[in-house]
Amino acid sequence: MMPADTTHPDSTAQVRLCDLRVGQSARIHADTLDAEDAATIRAMGLRPNASVSLCRLGSPCIVRVDGRGGCGCRIGLARPLAERLLVTPLH
Amino acid sequence: MTATVAPTDDASPPEAGVLRVALLGNPNTGKTTLFNRLCGLRHKTSNFPGTTQESRVGFTCIGSRDVEVIDLPGVYSLELDQSESSVCRGVLAGQTAPKGEAAQPPDAVCIVVDASNLARNLAIVGEALRRRLATVVVINMQDIAARRGLRIDVERLSEALGCEVVASQARSGEGIAAIREALTRARIPTDTPPGDEDGLVAWVDRVYEKAIAPASMDVARASFTDRLDRAFTHPIIGLVLFAAVMTGLFWVLFRLATVPMDLIDGVFGSIAAGIESVLPPGFLADMLANGVVAGVGATVIFLPQIVLLFLLISLLEDTGYLARAAFVMDRALRPFGLAGHSFVPLLSSHACALPGIMSARMIPDRRQRLATILVAPFMTCSARLPVYALLVTVLFPGRPGMQALAFTGSYALGVVVALLSALLARRTILRGEGRPMALELPAYRLPSLKSALLTTWDRSLVFLRKAGTVILAISVVLWWLGSYPIVDPPEDVASMRAQASALVATSPEDAAALVAEADAAEASHAVRASFMGRIGRTVQPVFEPLGYDWQLSIGVMASFAAREVFVSTMAVVVSGQDDAEDEGVLTALRTAQRSDGTPIFTTATAWSLLVYYVLAMQCLPTLAVTAREAGGWKWAGLQLGWMTGVAYVLAMVVTQTLRLLGVS
Repeated sequence: MMPADTTHPDSTAQVRLCDLRVGQSARIHADTLDAEDAATIRAMGLRPNASVSLCRLGSPCIVRVDGRGGCGCRIGLARPLAERLLVTPLH
Repeated sequence: MTATVAPTDDASPPEAGVLRVALLGNPNTGKTTLFNRLCGLRHKTSNFPGTTQESRVGFTCIGSRDVEVIDLPGVYSLELDQSESSVCRGVLAGQTAPKGEAAQPPDAVCIVVDASNLARNLAIVGEALRRRLATVVVINMQDIAARRGLRIDVERLSEALGCEVVASQARSGEGIAAIREALTRARIPTDTPPGDEDGLVAWVDRVYEKAIAPASMDVARASFTDRLDRAFTHPIIGLVLFAAVMTGLFWVLFRLATVPMDLIDGVFGSIAAGIESVLPPGFLADMLANGVVAGVGATVIFLPQIVLLFLLISLLEDTGYLARAAFVMDRALRPFGLAGHSFVPLLSSHACALPGIMSARMIPDRRQRLATILVAPFMTCSARLPVYALLVTVLFPGRPGMQALAFTGSYALGVVVALLSALLARRTILRGEGRPMALELPAYRLPSLKSALLTTWDRSLVFLRKAGTVILAISVVLWWLGSYPIVDPPEDVASMRAQASALVATSPEDAAALVAEADAAEASHAVRASFMGRIGRTVQPVFEPLGYDWQLSIGVMASFAAREVFVSTMAVVVSGQDDAEDEGVLTALRTAQRSDGTPIFTTATAWSLLVYYVLAMQCLPTLAVTAREAGGWKWAGLQLGWMTGVAYVLAMVVTQTLRLLGVS
């Protein structure tokens, strides 16, 4: 399920969240996390179809959940979680 | 995900009697600020039975009606398989209640929502509405939403949810009166959101669409947060800023706490003196003055530092910085099997391990939480400071620079051994991959002093209750062991007193000096002959490899339950006085000799004692809290055995190495 070595994401392929560039936006597609981690981060707002943008790359990284109308929050995410979140990059 | 509780009947809350309201919401929504606004100091703190989740129950009056408010733990979802969510589910279903309360569903639920993050917060609103309880939704933190250009149509939101919605800014008090009124007329919502996850997501989208007025994000604000985050979460700059913030925090802590600590010391000294002057000499006066008052004073004296630490941590937390500090520290702590969440408990333990261990509840991963609890007491707490102060004075008399260096080294030793111990625990008894960190970084904002003061008041009371009672009991036992059996004074004391009587007329100053010398010799003899003295002599062979004689062994044994007792015990054993603040007593301690003329505190024993006191577990209240928070006395036993074992071995290594090098 996880794309192999996607270091140069284009706008249509699904990539790992940690493969985005800083400032790049994406839509969450799916995750390959265990049930407990998946439930937690979904409850924090990182659910399928949520619009996100990467604020800081690294371990941990910072991702902003962008709600409509300026709503949203920032979440510090450990690298293992960011590696298992698949996103579709947006322009 | 767990199953949803079946809807109950649609009865509205009773119109009379105490109105029981549960406060529910995501973390960082200002729920506790609202609780403080509603109840102020009228609340009690305990635990939900069978859990380590703290429960706060507050009381207020709305009109003529008594209202009880239960502050539930902040949760992202009611359906998570986590302790906090389980407690919330239990309270809403009437199956769980704070200690001492009857388990019954609340009459109303007040759901606190962050206006700047409405979409995510609506999910928990939906989950709560499914419970079919009378509900009021509070849209809080309007200031942050307004700064971002967000506009929420409260009326349309109320329509969409089918319950009353109140806009507020709990921090400034805006909207509190409206919330109080709304609570008394809370009704079962007319809408019931779908029970499945996809259905709930679609429901949230629909409600959000209705309630939010389209607006563009405040780009300037976002870039301001970005800029701050770029600095505070940077791998290097973030660490430098973190070091600067922590240095400032501890500077303020030690600088400002000195005055009230001296004041408390003086007040308790006066109370003890007052008791001794009012009551006739004997068991009662001695026990009250030297057991009860000294014991309470020994605990209360650390309160200023603890209050200040809580206040500063609360303020830092309120600004949004503490989450960034945990984020930065995650990188540093992860190699040792801990997570960023462990940072606040370890930081708090620098004032006192009790609140530090209690705050480990916020660590979601069980193994990381247990590892943090086990190693938190390695952090240098306030109780170690008098011992450090004595030993660095012994090691570097008149050299404040070197004393400061030794002090700093002691702090560092505690941190290093704690991290290595955590690593060992995570590789052995707590083996397994830790849950990776997912941590919300709340918006930066100016802190609320009132809210911080109320939180500080609450936590300080918990500390006083927990530490004061146990330490008081220990102090009385220690006093008894150190005071009994009562023995006759030695012969030379009697002759000194006789000489003093003869000198009173001709040389009153010499007579007074002789009396003081006789008093000191008598007190010293009494301690040596006491049960504690006998225990010291019995256990001395155990401490022989560390270079401690029987007198130091008494000091170490007496401080088994509370380490700060070491200084006053040594002062009594060596000089017959217990005022360790007295420069004369400190000099007496530094230069004290054994009966063969060799010094009690050699360089080797002082270094060894310093290492021992940095690392040893000598605090009964901490063990009690560890047992409760970790879920059993075996963890407290492990903590005691490991810390004391490491302290013993390293102190022995220090003594033997220094002896080999010819330092004594």
